[in-house]
Amino acid sequence: MADLRLMLPELILFAWAMMMLMYGVIRKNVGGNTMIYLAMLGVVITGFSIPMTGYGIAFGGTFFVDKVSVFFKMIFLGAAFFAAASSSSLLEKLKSDHGEYFTLILLSTVGMMFLISTNELITLYVALELTTIPLFVLAAYRKDSLQSSEAGLKYLILGAVSSAILLYGISMIYGLTGTTFINLAFGRLLEQSLGMLTLTQEVNMAFIIAMIMLIAGFGFKLALVPFHMWAPDVYEGAPTPVTSFLSVASKGAGVAAFARLFYSALPSFGEFYWGIMVGTLAAAAMIIGNITAVLQSNVKRMLAYSSIAHAGYLLIGFVSLPTTVNDTPFGPASIMFYMLAYLFANMGAFACAIAFEKNYGSYEIKDYQGLAKESPALALTFTIFLLSLAGIPPMVGFFAKYYIFLAGWPNYSWLVIVGILTSVISLYYYANIVKQMYFNRNETVLAKAHFDSPLVITLVLTVAGTILFGIFPESVIKFANNAFDAFPF
Amino acid sequence: MELAIFLMASALSIAASILVIIQRNPIASVMYLLTSFVSQVILFIMLNAAFLAMLQIIVYAGAILVLFLFVIMLLNLRREDFGKDIKLKFKPLAIAFAVVLLFETTVAISSSAMLERAQAQLPPEFGSVQAVGMELFTKYLYPFELTSILLIVAVLGAVVMAKKRL
Repeated sequence: MADLRLMLPELILFAWAMMMLMYGVIRKNVGGNTMIYLAMLGVVITGFSIPMTGYGIAFGGTFFVDKVSVFFKMIFLGAAFFAAASSSSLLEKLKSDHGEYFTLILLSTVGMMFLISTNELITLYVALELTTIPLFVLAAYRKDSLQSSEAGLKYLILGAVSSAILLYGISMIYGLTGTTFINLAFGRLLEQSLGMLTLTQEVNMAFIIAMIMLIAGFGFKLALVPFHMWAPDVYEGAPTPVTSFLSVASKGAGVAAFARLFYSALPSFGEFYWGIMVGTLAAAAMIIGNITAVLQSNVKRMLAYSSIAHAGYLLIGFVSLPTTVNDTPFGPASIMFYMLAYLFANMGAFACAIAFEKNYGSYEIKDYQGLAKESPALALTFTIFLLSLAGIPPMVGFFAKYYIFLAGWPNYSWLVIVGILTSVISLYYYANIVKQMYFNRNETVLAKAHFDSPLVITLVLTVAGTILFGIFPESVIKFANNAFDAFPF
Repeated sequence: MELAIFLMASALSIAASILVIIQRNPIASVMYLLTSFVSQVILFIMLNAAFLAMLQIIVYAGAILVLFLFVIMLLNLRREDFGKDIKLKFKPLAIAFAVVLLFETTVAISSSAMLERAQAQLPPEFGSVQAVGMELFTKYLYPFELTSILLIVAVLGAVVMAKKRL
C-alpha cells in the first residue's frame, strides 16, 4: 500500500482519464466546453495530490519519487492543462466533444509521469511508449485533413524506428552488465574495469556503441539535428493544441529521461566522448533550427523549427550536468528552469496562434499584419511570448537562457558562444512577427477578435507565468538546485 | 554439430528477413517473415530460452502473422497494386552506413564482456516458464502492470483511428 501511495498522482490521473472516456460514451454529443473543463479539473486535482505523496522508492526500485521528478511532473501537468484548455476550437471543427481526445492527452501525460519516475530500463521503455502512442493518434486526429493523417503516419513510423534503435542500445547495456537498473548497470561497468575510472578498451567499445544507439533513439524523440526531419511536418500537420503539447511536454519528458539516464552513465562514459558527441548535437540543433526558422512563412512551422533550436539550448545544460557553480551542481537546475520558461512561453505562443486562426482562419505570418490595431490584447500577449522565447528581459526566457549559459560556460564556452550568436538570429524571426503586428499596415481591416473562455484562461495563466517567473526566478532556481542534491536518488 | 545448426538457422533468418523487405507481394513477405521467426525459434532453443521460443511460435508466428494475412486478404490487393520499386535518393549512402554499423557492432560485441557472460554457466532452471514468471511477477511487476495501460491506449487509439464517426 505504501508503494501505491507514492504513485497516487499517476493513479488519479489514469482513473480520471478512464472516467472521461466512460462519461464521453454515455453523454450525448452536445458541444460546449464541459469536457474541456473536466480535463482541466482532473489535471488540477492531480497537481494538488503530488505534494501529498512525499518522496521515496517503491516496487523494488523500479519506481521512485524525488524532487526532480516532482518538478517535471508539474511541468507535464501544466502542458496537459494548457493543451486541453486551448482545444475548444479544434473540438468545434471536429463537431465532436467526446472524451477520447482528452483521455489520450491525459494518458500520454501519465506515461510521462511514469517515465520521469524510473531508473530501470524496461520501465523506461514501456513508459516511453505509453507517452508516444497516444501522441501518434492525436497527431492524426483530424481525419478530414490529409496533412494531419500524414503527420500521424510519419510520426508513427519514425517513432517505431527510433524505439527499435533505443531498444537495441538498451539490450546491449543489459548484455554488458546483466542488469536493467541504470545505477547498478553503470556501477558494474566501473567494477569490470577494476575500479579505474576509465573503462577497459573492450568494454569501452561496445559500451560506446550502446550509448550512441541511446543518443540516436532519444535524438529522434527530441527532434535533435540530424534526427529532426520529421518534426516540422508533424508539427504543422497535427492539430495545433496537440502540436503545443508535443513541443513542450514530450520534449520535456525526453530531456528528463535522457538526463536521468546519462547522469548515471557519465562517470563511466568519459568526459571526452560525452562532450564532443552531445555538444556537437546541441550546436547543430541551435544553428540549423534557428537558421531554418528564419525562412518559414507559417507560424506553426516556425515554432517547430524554433523548438528544435530550444532543444539545442537544453542540451547545453545537459552536457554541463556535472558542472558546479558555488559548489552546487548547476546543470540540472538550469535544465529544469529552462523547461519551466519554455512551458509558459511556448504554450502561450501556440495558444495565440490558435486564437488568431480561430478568428482569421490562417497560420501565415503575413496575415498578422496590423493585428495590433484591431486586437491589441492578442498582439500584446503574443509579443510577450515571442520576446520570452527570444530571451529578452524581464521575461522568464531571459533567465532561462542566462542560467543555461552560466552552467555551460566553465567547460563548454564554445557552445555558449554558439548559443548567444544563434539567439541573435532567433531574435530576427521572433521580432519579425512583432513587426508585422505593430508596424505593418493592413489594407483590409481585420475584424475584432473573439476568445472562448478556456483559451482566455490559458492566455492569462501563461502571461502571468512568463512575467512573474521572470521577475522572481530565485525561488524556482533554489528549489531546482536543492532538488539536485538527490538527483540520481 | 551445434555450430552447424546455429549457422544454418541464423543464415536462414537473415536471408528470410532480407526477402521480407525486397518482396513486392505482401503475402510472400508474410511467409518469409514466418520463416524468419521459425529460424529465430531455433536460436532461442539453442540459448536455453524455451519459454521465449514457445511465445515466439504461439504469439508471433501463430497469432500476429495470421492477423497480417487476414488484413492483407481483406485489402483485396491485385497484382498491379503492388507497385514499382521506390527510388530512394539516399540508397547508396544508407547501404554504406548499414555496412559500417554492422562492422562496428560485430567488432564491439565480439571483443566485449558480453561474450564472457554468454560462456558462463547458466543455472539449470534458466529460461523455463517458472524462472521467467518469477522475474516477471516480482522484480518486474510494475513495468508488467504498466503494459496494461499501454494496451488500453493501443485499443483506444485503434478505435479512434478506424471509426468514421465517433
